[in-house]
Amino acid sequence: MSLAMYYFLTISAVYILMSWALYLPYRLAHLHFLTVANMLISGYLAGYLVQSHGFPFALALVAGFTAGGLVGYIVSLFIDDAPTFTVVIVGFTFIYISRTAVENIKAVGATMGMFGLPMVAGTPNAHRLTILILVYALVVVVGFLIYRFEHSRVGRAASVMFVDKDLATSMGVDIKKLGRLVQTFSSLIAGGCGVIYGFIYRSYHLDFFTFHLVGIFMTVIFVGGYTTMWGSLLAAPALYGLSLILPPAVASWRIVIYGAILIAVLVLKPEGFITRRLAYTLETTLSRWRKR
Amino acid sequence: MNKKVVVFFLVLFVSVSLVLVGCKKEKAAKVVVEEWEVPFLNSLTGAIASIGEYLQWGAERAAYEINQAGGIAGKPVKVIGVDTALEPQKGVVEMGKIVEWALVALGPVPEPVIMAAAPIAVENEMMTMTATTSLEYAEQFFPWSISWFPKTADRLPPLSRAWAEMHPDMKSVIQFVGIYGPWPGMAASHVVGIEEVGVKYLGDVEVPQDAVTFGPLVVKALDQKPDGVIISCWPDKAAKIVQELKSRGWTEMEKVLLFSSADDAALYTTGGADLNGAVIYNYINVDQDTPRWNAFKEAYQKDHNGLQPPSLSTNYYDAVYMIKRAIEETGVTGDPKKLAEERELVAEAMLNMKNFEGLLFKWDMSSGVPTNKPGYLFQIQDGRKKLVKEIRP
Amino acid sequence: MQVFIAQVINGLSLGSIYVLLATGFNLLLLVAMIIHFAYPQVVVFSMYIAWVVLRYTGNSIVLAVLAAILSSVLLNVISAPLFQKIMKNREEVDINTTMVMSLGIGMIITDILSHGFNKGLPIAFPPKLVGETPILRVGLISLMGGQVASLAVGVIAVSGIFLLLYKTRPGRAFRAIAEDPNGARLVGIPLLRTGLESYALSGILGGLIAVLLAMLLGYSSPGLGEQVAHKVLAVSIIAGLGNLAGGLVVGLALGIMEALVQGYISGSWSNAIAFVVMLLVILFRPRGLFGIKL
Repeated sequence: MSLAMYYFLTISAVYILMSWALYLPYRLAHLHFLTVANMLISGYLAGYLVQSHGFPFALALVAGFTAGGLVGYIVSLFIDDAPTFTVVIVGFTFIYISRTAVENIKAVGATMGMFGLPMVAGTPNAHRLTILILVYALVVVVGFLIYRFEHSRVGRAASVMFVDKDLATSMGVDIKKLGRLVQTFSSLIAGGCGVIYGFIYRSYHLDFFTFHLVGIFMTVIFVGGYTTMWGSLLAAPALYGLSLILPPAVASWRIVIYGAILIAVLVLKPEGFITRRLAYTLETTLSRWRKR
Repeated sequence: MNKKVVVFFLVLFVSVSLVLVGCKKEKAAKVVVEEWEVPFLNSLTGAIASIGEYLQWGAERAAYEINQAGGIAGKPVKVIGVDTALEPQKGVVEMGKIVEWALVALGPVPEPVIMAAAPIAVENEMMTMTATTSLEYAEQFFPWSISWFPKTADRLPPLSRAWAEMHPDMKSVIQFVGIYGPWPGMAASHVVGIEEVGVKYLGDVEVPQDAVTFGPLVVKALDQKPDGVIISCWPDKAAKIVQELKSRGWTEMEKVLLFSSADDAALYTTGGADLNGAVIYNYINVDQDTPRWNAFKEAYQKDHNGLQPPSLSTNYYDAVYMIKRAIEETGVTGDPKKLAEERELVAEAMLNMKNFEGLLFKWDMSSGVPTNKPGYLFQIQDGRKKLVKEIRP
Repeated sequence: MQVFIAQVINGLSLGSIYVLLATGFNLLLLVAMIIHFAYPQVVVFSMYIAWVVLRYTGNSIVLAVLAAILSSVLLNVISAPLFQKIMKNREEVDINTTMVMSLGIGMIITDILSHGFNKGLPIAFPPKLVGETPILRVGLISLMGGQVASLAVGVIAVSGIFLLLYKTRPGRAFRAIAEDPNGARLVGIPLLRTGLESYALSGILGGLIAVLLAMLLGYSSPGLGEQVAHKVLAVSIIAGLGNLAGGLVVGLALGIMEALVQGYISGSWSNAIAFVVMLLVILFRPRGLFGIKL
């Protein structure tokens, strides 16, 4: 496999996972931008543990997941059923706080960044293979969990909340508990992504985690489709790949193209390309075909 | 008759020898490429597109001149701009493609993309010339990178000291520091220089990346009653700080020192005449009078509405010439089958290149670090820099 | 004491940027139920148009103002129908879809400015627009004409729009269309004409804000809109969506707080501290300090 293909696949997988991390809370109409801060916090934490304290990568990854989940859980105690605006402000706040903290902490490289993280396996090829397997294993696991969630009673309750919060409450859905669950899980995923993202590059820099990422992941969700998980699975590699294959003269206008695609999809296909109905149709077609 | 036979065989022998030697030389120098392609990982779009543009311009100018003069080992050279748009996720994919075929690369630009993509070049043992970043970044990737600048702690103190020495009545200095990349480290080196001549350092005033007004920061600085000010932040913000200083009564512009990273078109388009009298340091002397530099300057001004070439515009220009010299000295052929071997030859040639004839001065490389590069103090007047002092290590 | 006063004035100056932008933001909310996250980018675009006109007309301020207003009106008129198409429920604010739509618009505007104007470099406005010397200078206290104008106009704009929307017939018609288009139609309000008038109004305000910001800052850059967008959104949310008077108070308060943090604590922590304070406020008052006025 070529290096270009390796980076395309691994970064696409991170995009998929992060889009799912945003997608889940969005089922409750929460734009949970805290996930970008989780990436940053867990990523730098893992890098610090590995580089300064000789932690093995696996342990650092667990620490990253744990930190993400912990931060997400603690914050969710305050915003589990908060209005959308509050959740947005919380996300922005944590992004600003975490960036400022890293800028001022010399132990994690401050504004210079962290260089030369060790490989997770003995040789460069083994390192890449490990990261690739790990990240796609995560895609499968997280995808499975989200699938089961969506097809569970809790998941259906979340769907009702998106449509009508009051109706959901009157039907006995515990909004606070549900909010806490999805936000914690979403932050957990984001924490793990932050660790993996840095180990793909074997370095960390503040400019790896900017507000620009928020725009990218939101574009993936809305273009792919925000009513099912399958939209992000397709949109993430497509949008990332688009920027790589455009000819140079066109590529320089790629942000305008992304913006135009986003607006066009919102206006013409508000649910995104993969709608609930389409996903349902495909599912039933597949199950009929399997029965045959 | 015998004499004629002897002379005949002598001439024949000499002719055959000459032919054989000529053939051997030709075999050794036979370049297999039709064109030397040099990829340049650059930020051609995004927040620093304006900087990427003139870096690209410099590299392409060098390629143009080289081609006009016959190319590299007789073959033309082409600089291929590869846009990373300031995105590490794009930079790694592009570098992943480049390492499959390129002999040597230019860039990446800027630091986040260097950090993500340069390890790929290192792993594939390909020289990637990070000619616009500090040594502290570039040395992480030695010997597959070279630095255009010596260590910050060696390079900067003489410059700030020279500025402080120009103003013996300047007893205390405050510094505006942009919280980005190597700038805090550069700011610390400025302090070393001024303290060497007994100037008191009053402290840093941190400039946030998204600051849009500068009144609070300038008031904070002026409240400490400094005699001098150093500004180490983004060019447009540096210009606004100067304007704010002036609006609060600062008049001694020669006691304002701007650092090299602020020396960019954005400084002059934002600051205009308000910058007059301020001192700035950098590594090229725009007022030098040499045919080569004059031609470069004229071409730059023609393509950029009369603007003076920024300092960094010469870096990748020189880098392309360095590649030329490395290829010609090592006799590499561009043969894809010998890629690994030829990459190593080219890299080694550059790491310790002596007497390299840059656009404005000669310098030596020693293990990838330049030695004996000068620095300059200028005074800004109507958008132009006038040389005040040259500082040689 | 002098330093404190100087910082408060700096804060009012910074705050007036937030007030102006939040006012325009709230106006769009009140007349069209649109959360236009990229409203600052629209204003920055108008600043660039004004700059172009100034360059080519020998610094004619009148023409620049007209051009800024026209560009802002045009952008509004083009984008507003797009917003309305995607809004699920015209009677309520749909932050999710409108925020995403405005993100897309903001991306496009910022990139066009980076490509198409002045090679992506910042632009500087002529000194006579900005004011060459302070109108008041006492020690560290300095007051430029642009600062006074933007603060004064900000207060006047808030008052004027408040009066227009709540005390005049056209204003009530704008709000009626925003809150209940069917009901508005039933009582005889011409939807299309009134809708266009409301977009034009917010466009006019946007153009004026662009000129005021040019006077206040003296420069602009492609990224300027993005740099302030988060804070403008936060100001509006903290004050209470659609609350004009609240936006005035909170905008100025935020500006003063930022200036004091930068002046007395640290420049690099000013954003983090500002957002923490805003976060604490919104956790205890989710509907904003002064209440939602939609």
